[in-house]
Amino acid sequence: MNINLPINVLYVDDEEHNLYSFKANFRKDYNIYTTIDTAEALEMVDTKNISIVMADQRMPIMTGVEFLEIIRIKYPEKIRILITGHTDIGAAIDAINRGEVFRFIDKPWDADYVKNAIATGFEIFRTREDLKKKNLDLQKANEELDHFIYSASHDLRAPLMSILGIVNLSEVENEVEVLKQYFSLIQQSVLRLDSFVINIIDYYRNTRNKSEIKESIDFKKMTAEVLATMRYLPNFDKIIFNSYIIQEEVFHSDPIKIRIILNNLLSNAIKFQDPAKEDFIINIQIEVLNMGCTINIEDNGIGIATSQLKNIFKMFYRGGIMNSGSGVGLYIVEEAVHKLLGEIKVESVEKEGTKFIISIPGKN
Amino acid sequence: MDQQHNFLLVDDSTLDLFINEKMLKVNQMAASIRKFLDPRDCLQFIQTENTYETFIILLDLQMPLMNGFGFVEAFQEFEPSMQKRYHIFMLSSTVDSGDIQKAKSMEGIIDILSKPLDPKMLKKLLVEAKLA
Repeated sequence: MNINLPINVLYVDDEEHNLYSFKANFRKDYNIYTTIDTAEALEMVDTKNISIVMADQRMPIMTGVEFLEIIRIKYPEKIRILITGHTDIGAAIDAINRGEVFRFIDKPWDADYVKNAIATGFEIFRTREDLKKKNLDLQKANEELDHFIYSASHDLRAPLMSILGIVNLSEVENEVEVLKQYFSLIQQSVLRLDSFVINIIDYYRNTRNKSEIKESIDFKKMTAEVLATMRYLPNFDKIIFNSYIIQEEVFHSDPIKIRIILNNLLSNAIKFQDPAKEDFIINIQIEVLNMGCTINIEDNGIGIATSQLKNIFKMFYRGGIMNSGSGVGLYIVEEAVHKLLGEIKVESVEKEGTKFIISIPGKN
Repeated sequence: MDQQHNFLLVDDSTLDLFINEKMLKVNQMAASIRKFLDPRDCLQFIQTENTYETFIILLDLQMPLMNGFGFVEAFQEFEPSMQKRYHIFMLSSTVDSGDIQKAKSMEGIIDILSKPLDPKMLKKLLVEAKLA
């Protein structure tokens, strides 16, 4: 049982001395709320986050069973306990059938018995609440999955159907030069599909993998490795990379997440170059200081419209018409940064360029 | 030779626009072809187009900013007399039964074709729609 969670118990009885003695006995163990008035009791259930409702059977305005029946209808999740001084078989039957009470306690009550009833009742209450929360989480995960399958099926199939289309065209083509062009189009499509597959794998590593790996990260080495995987992207050779990587101390972090961040931000910077510009420039600025690090990736590409900036980290959001990706990349980046307890900011001006600023704190 | 049509191709993939254009040309199905990466540009074209020509629109479904269904909804805001000159076929790689059902039942969409564009299938559908 979670001892940090306060247990709020409400006890309703028309005899005030019963309430006093109850409170005196159990106030050290639980937050006890008492009242002689059933109307006030209902209000308390509503406002005091009560988990266990106890009622005496013999009360003037309504019986304990009647009161607990109201509670059952209005707040079925609350644990209900009936206290009675007279063994009355009719009341017992009603308590079970109408009030669906959890326990039936005889007066005068035995303190250990009452404690046991409250503890067990609360355990059930908490388990049900957990279950409810897990159900909601599951529902959300399912919705995400539906959304995911829908978008992923498009992103997986679209490049394949493009390739098939080119193959169909090549069947009626004899010119070698044209066929060569077709092959290069197939290559583009394959690269697009591959980058999507890598994105999906990253997504799973990032969100589904709970284990935490920590390794010493060498930013210079990792950046070089990441860039090496991108050399087949169109225009790669024309880009001027300016790297300022200052790392004089060890940086411990999850290499998978750091790689995801560098991978997506750099491939975006390469993909969204502005054809209207004379030079394509990407500035990579990484600094490790006081165990933490800052990563700035800046390009002079097409930029992002101000109206779209708020959407870029949403899953499956695709920014524009040009070279639209899968809409997963930045979502994964933000997720990875947050898992490393870091922050990500973006500054962008359309047609001028985009800058991503990431800071990741040092971990103890 | 089969009848030739004016085509408007709407797709967010330059590659697919290229493939579809080429396929129509190779099969000598097109009198003219116009390509649109952004569906809103195509709507703009329709709005300002003032000949009395008729057009076949091959419309992609999944596009950012405005998808194929959004395009059709916007298209239906035009004058009915204007709408008559445009015949919309959806052309998509989707295998989602919900999307396919919606495309088949949506007013304004004649039918849905799956990518890659199959010229024989398109000819058959054009005949069925009494457009060829």
